[in-house]
Amino acid sequence: MSNQTNQKPSNKETLINPNSLHNTHVKLLAFDFNSLTHFQSPSSSHDPNLFYRKGIPISRVQVFGVVVTRDLKPEKFLRFSIDDGTGCIQCILWLNQLTSAYFSRRCPSDVRSIAQMANIHSIRAQIGFDVRVRGRVSGFRGLVQITVDDVVVERDPNCQILHWLECINLSRKCYDVQSCKK
Amino acid sequence: MASSTVNSGALVILEELNPSSPLFQNGASLRVTGKLLDYAVVTAVAVIADGSATLMIDTQHLKMNFRVGSIYQFIGELFLESDRQPILRARVGRNADGMDLNLYRQSLKLLKEFQAEQAHS
Repeated sequence: MSNQTNQKPSNKETLINPNSLHNTHVKLLAFDFNSLTHFQSPSSSHDPNLFYRKGIPISRVQVFGVVVTRDLKPEKFLRFSIDDGTGCIQCILWLNQLTSAYFSRRCPSDVRSIAQMANIHSIRAQIGFDVRVRGRVSGFRGLVQITVDDVVVERDPNCQILHWLECINLSRKCYDVQSCKK
Repeated sequence: MASSTVNSGALVILEELNPSSPLFQNGASLRVTGKLLDYAVVTAVAVIADGSATLMIDTQHLKMNFRVGSIYQFIGELFLESDRQPILRARVGRNADGMDLNLYRQSLKLLKEFQAEQAHS
C-alpha cells in the first residue's frame, strides 16, 4: 500500500478543476496503476469510487501490455490481465448487457450495439497479443482493476516502447506537476 | 490498493542475465527478447540471442510457429538446471519482428531510472 493514502482532495473544487485529471484517460504504467489509492466518499455528491495518484483524483486510464491471463464467462464477463513489464493489471470487460437490469431502461437497439462491441473487444484480448486498454478504474476484493471500455490490438512491437516513453514523459511533465501544485 | 496476484515478467536484457544478477534465480518471472538462433521441434526448445548472450526457451506450452532469424519475446519463469544452465519456461510468446532493439535497450534503461525515481519520490 502506498503512503499516499491520506492525500485526499480537501473540497469539491479539486474535482471540477479544469486542470484535473478526472475523466481524462491517464496513461499509466502498471506499477503506477497498482499503487493508486482508493477513497470511498461518504458524500453522495461525489463519485463513490475515487482513486488517487499522489493525491490527484483519477477515474479513467489507458494502459498497454501483453495479455497474460484470460478467463471468459460467456455472456457474463471476460477477466484478463495485461503485463507491461512493470507489473500486471487486472481488467474486467462486462458481456452481460443483454441480461443485466442495469441496461433494461435503455433503448434495446443501443444495448444490442453495446453488447456487440463488448464481444468484439473480448475477441481482441487474446493471450500473447499486445493490447491498448482504456477504461474506468475500479476496485474488486481489495485490488485495483480496470472496467474496460475498449481494447485495441497493436501489431507494431515498438508500441510498447512508445507507451513506456509517453508514460514517463506525461508523468514528469503533467501528472507529477499537478500533484506538486496541490 | 493491493496489486494483482499474477507475476509480471521483469524486463531483462539477455546480456544482463548472468549469475550475479538478482533475477538469475529459480522461478524468477522474466520477459526476454532476442533473435531466434535455433529451434528443436522434438524438444520444443528454442535458443534466442541478443548480442553475445544466449538463452534457452522451453516453448512446449506455446502454440506458435518459429522462424530462425526472427525476433521473439517471451514471458515465463526461469529455471536453473543441474549445471546452472538457465532455461526459461515460456507461458507467453510472440514474434517481435520490426522491434528496434537499440531503442528497446535505451528505453528500458530510462524506464528503470523512472521506476527508481518514482519509488523515492
